[in-house]
Order: sequence, then C-alpha cells, then structure tokens
Amino acid sequence: MTRELSVMMLTWEFPPRIIGGISPHVYNLSKSLAKNGVKVYVVTCDFPGAPQHETIDGVEVLRIDSYKNPSPDFATWVYLMNLNMQKEAAALVNSLGGEIDVFHVHDWLAANAGIGLKHVFRKPLLATIHSTEIGRRNGIHIDYERMIHETEAWLTYEAWRVVCCSDYMVSHVQWAFGLPKDKLVMIPNGVDAEVYSKIKRENLGEFRSKFALPEEKIVLFVGRLVYEKGVHVFVNAVPKVLEKTNAKFIIVGNGYMKEQLSSLVENIGLAHKVIFTGFVDDEKLRMLQKCADVSVVPSLFEPFGIVALEAMAAKSPVVVSDTGGLSEIVEHDVTGVKVYPNNPESLAWGIAKILLDEGYANWLKTNAHKKVEEKYDWDKTAQQTKGVYKTVMDEYSKSVWA
Amino acid sequence: MCTFHVVNAMQVVILSWEYPPRVVGQLADYVKEIAVQLVKNGVETYVVTYHDYLTGQLDEPEGVKTFRVTNPVRTHIGVITWVLILNQEVERATANIYYNTGKQIDLIDAHDWHFIPAAVTLKKALDIPFVYSVESLEEHRSHGANLPFNMAIKSIEWLGMYEAKQLIVKSEWMQDEVVKLHKVPLDKIKVVSPKSNAKLKSILETYKSVAGGARHN
Repeated sequence: MTRELSVMMLTWEFPPRIIGGISPHVYNLSKSLAKNGVKVYVVTCDFPGAPQHETIDGVEVLRIDSYKNPSPDFATWVYLMNLNMQKEAAALVNSLGGEIDVFHVHDWLAANAGIGLKHVFRKPLLATIHSTEIGRRNGIHIDYERMIHETEAWLTYEAWRVVCCSDYMVSHVQWAFGLPKDKLVMIPNGVDAEVYSKIKRENLGEFRSKFALPEEKIVLFVGRLVYEKGVHVFVNAVPKVLEKTNAKFIIVGNGYMKEQLSSLVENIGLAHKVIFTGFVDDEKLRMLQKCADVSVVPSLFEPFGIVALEAMAAKSPVVVSDTGGLSEIVEHDVTGVKVYPNNPESLAWGIAKILLDEGYANWLKTNAHKKVEEKYDWDKTAQQTKGVYKTVMDEYSKSVWA
Repeated sequence: MCTFHVVNAMQVVILSWEYPPRVVGQLADYVKEIAVQLVKNGVETYVVTYHDYLTGQLDEPEGVKTFRVTNPVRTHIGVITWVLILNQEVERATANIYYNTGKQIDLIDAHDWHFIPAAVTLKKALDIPFVYSVESLEEHRSHGANLPFNMAIKSIEWLGMYEAKQLIVKSEWMQDEVVKLHKVPLDKIKVVSPKSNAKLKSILETYKSVAGGARHN
C-alpha cells in the first residue's frame, strides 16, 4: 500500500465538547494513532466557539452542523443529528476520493452515520461499545430504552469487529447482543500520566485552601451525577465517614441527580462539608485530583472506569466499587481499596481506611502509579487499535467488496 | 475486477415508502403506474420500498425490479426514529443496486419526505442526483401545528428541496406552496398533473435534464 492507513472516527463528542468519557477517549486515541502513522479524520458535533475545521495534534477534525431545532426527546435528536453527520461525512469522504479504509463508530450515538457510510462506500465498519443501554438502566423497561438497545444490537451486527475496553465489557456485550466471541476485541483505555506530573506541588497549597481547611482531608468524586455512577451512595457515605474523621467531600460533574442530592445534603445538615463544583475545566480537575486524599468511584455500572485510572496517575489513592471494569483495574489492598457496590457502609469503611492510615495510603498510591505506567498507556492502546484495523483490512481485501 | 455489460438505457431508482401491496394512501398506486410506464418507455426502473416482512428482491412481471427492506430496529417511539433508521436500509439497498449495476445509476426519484435522508447521503457520497417528487407537505398535514415533531419533518422536506436537482409537484397550487413555504426557485419546480396524458413525457424530460452527464464508469 502506497498511502498511509486512514480512518474516520464518528463521535457525538470531541473536545472542547465534553459530556462523558467518549470525548477524551476519542481525542487520546486519535492523537496516539496519528503518532503511530495513521491518518485520522474525526467527524463530530459542533460546539460554540470551536472551529468547523481544524487540525489538532495531527488529527483532522470536522465539526458538523448538528440538529438545532427543538427535539421531541434525546434519542430523536441523536437520529436527526446523525442525518447531518452522515451527509457531511459522506461529502468529506467523496472529496478525498473515497480513500478512507475504516469507519470507526463510538457507541450508538453515531450508529446511523457509521452504518450508512459503510454501505455507500463499501468499507469496513468498526464499533467501540463504551457502554450499553441495558447496563446504564439496569435492564430494559420501556420502549425508549428498547429502541436504543436494539440500535446498539444493530450497530454490533453491522460492525466488522466490536471493541470493548475491559474483559467485563466484552462478556457483557457478548451477552447483551448475542455476538460471536471472535467478533469482540478487548483493548484497554490509556491514561495520560504526564499531564499530572507537570503540575507543581508548590502551586497546590493555595488551590487546596479554596476547597478545604488544613485539618480537613479531601474526598473526591468525579463523574456524571446519574444513578449508574453511584453518586447517591457517595452522598450517603458522607455522615458515616465524618463519624470517624474530618473531611471535605467534593463532587465534580453535572447530571439529573444534582438538585436532589444537594437538597439531601442540606437536609441532613452537611452542606458545609459537601461541595458541588459542577463541570470544571481540565486544569482545575487535574489539580483537584492531585489534591485529593482519596478518590472515590462508587459506580453501580462501569464499563471501564477511566476516572479511577486518572486518580491513580495523579497519585491519589482510590476506593472503587467491585464491579465491571473497576474490578479489573484495581487490585484490592495493592493498588486501591475495593468495596461492595451500592453499599454506603462498605464505601465509608473503604474511605476511612485510607484517610486514617497514611502509610497504607502511600503504599496504595505508589503501587497504583507504577501499574498505570506499565499497563495503561495510550500509545499501547493506539498500537493495538492499529493492529485491529490491519486485521480487518486484511480480511476485507479477501471479501467481495474489495 | 468484475466487468459489466454496458447499458445504454437510462437507469432510475425510485424511493417510496408505499408501493403495492403496501398501500397507505394514493402514493402507492401512482408510483407503481409511473414505474410500469417507465419500463415500457425503455427506462431500467428499480423501486426501493418498505415492507414489514416481504423483504428482498422481486422482479415484477411488468419489468420493474423491486427491493423491499424492513426496519432493523423493531421498537420505536415515533415516526421520526422509525423513518430515520429505515432510511439506512433504503440507502443500503440503493447502494447495492448502484454497485451491482457497475455504478450506472443516472438518478434517484424520491417520493415524499420519508426517504430524503437516504437520497441526500447517496448524492453526497456517490454524486447520484435526485428528483424530489412532492406528494404533500407537513405544513398542510399538521394543520398548522409546529411542535418539535412537525419541525423535524419540515426540516427534512427543506433539506430535500435544497439538495434535489429538480422538484416535481402535482399541481400549480402545490408549486405556489413550495415556493412560499420553502423558498424554492421557480425554475427548479416542474408541475406534472397525475391526470395529464403527457405526464410520462414530462417526467422523462425532467429525468433527462437531471441525469445529464451524471454517469459514473
């Protein structure tokens, strides 16, 4: 092959548009693929102030005119947005003479666009399933959820390979959609540990004082404030931790549970101990992660758990619920503390165990940091992903479409 | 590399969400009548349509090649999600016709708004021009309601009118409405009355003007 391998990523979020974990995932993966000699085009939704076209770290980004009229509901918006995404991506591929080797979709949010492009250009489609509706909702209960579930099933059916980021997620996706095992590939996420080592210790003191008194330890939660992330378990653990030690609880992120949780905190008289920061920028988030005496990931459903990896890279000891991808990332008593999911008593026990034993906390964070550097590196993720592209292209070259 | 025999006849793919035996309104029988007459006039005519279970390819006795697709997602919360996902199958079937004919499709004729999304992607991706045959407009069907649901359909109608090379409408009244509501330039619209004896001649003329030089070899 004379030209370099070229891939088009289709994603509903890409920085500076950040809603969940897909945005940083696609950014880091695309950047690392570009470093590894892959030509990457990212097609994503527009965002106020972000240019329509730009090249970021060797990655070509096209921000489409997403659907702006009021929509009946979120899912309908997704399908309407996909119409525009597909139309603009098709024009881009056509202008490149059709020279895209693989279309790579992230979750059902770009399913229509990816499936359409596959068939009009007759090129292989790859899907990364970051999360599932059946997992997020803990079952399928209403037609709205079933429609999304079936869209996910359709996407995995149309994809040449399905990528998941943990062994847990591979078996979950295999079960949820009845896929053959050889269609699934596990590639772990990476974490950029360097961004944390760049932060200077001496700058942290003043920053910390904005959030907590010197005698208060900092307990950090980062995530969308939704049921599946277990943020309500975290809030319920607050009084139980305070019985044992003095601490400030910082909750970073937004979501539909925010008001309900902040009024709960007020009603139990602990508003002075819990801070809801809302969404914060990368720099502030990283400084908070550096300052945290313990980082808590209490999810009920967690395909991977990138926040746990970030905390480990930031040298903050972690408490995680023993579920999903978190079970694989953390080794109990070695790289962190595992607690029972959906159990505030257990969670409070784990938090206090770290806060009350500095030697133990240091042991965990040293081991955790080492583990992150050894195993969760975006460069390795990109090389494995490139390997999957090559396998798919090799199989494709023997197919009737080639 | 496969070789294809060269077809000199014009090749058209008609997209319609209703086609016999699936008859919802007036459109199904009208589209069938046009398709059969096109075949009689030497046009290679393909119809891509929807059926819940009679899926697949069928060469009809009259010479029309029909392809029926169904919705790959069975559960829906409304017409819009149903239509948008169904469009992907319409697009897939039409792309298959395109590749299986050696990329010899001259144009697509999309009846009403339902399969406009597929027609637009096929145009952007493969440079196949399309005609938008307007049966009715959401503005009239919804009797002035302008909920997010109606807006979505109107936005698809607008997109179709913007991206189509020609519009065919069935009355002068509809021509006025299209101009008034969607600001389409008059010279882009052709009025073809379903009752006119010369309707096929007008449609063929429109097809020829749209297809001009659009062949891909």
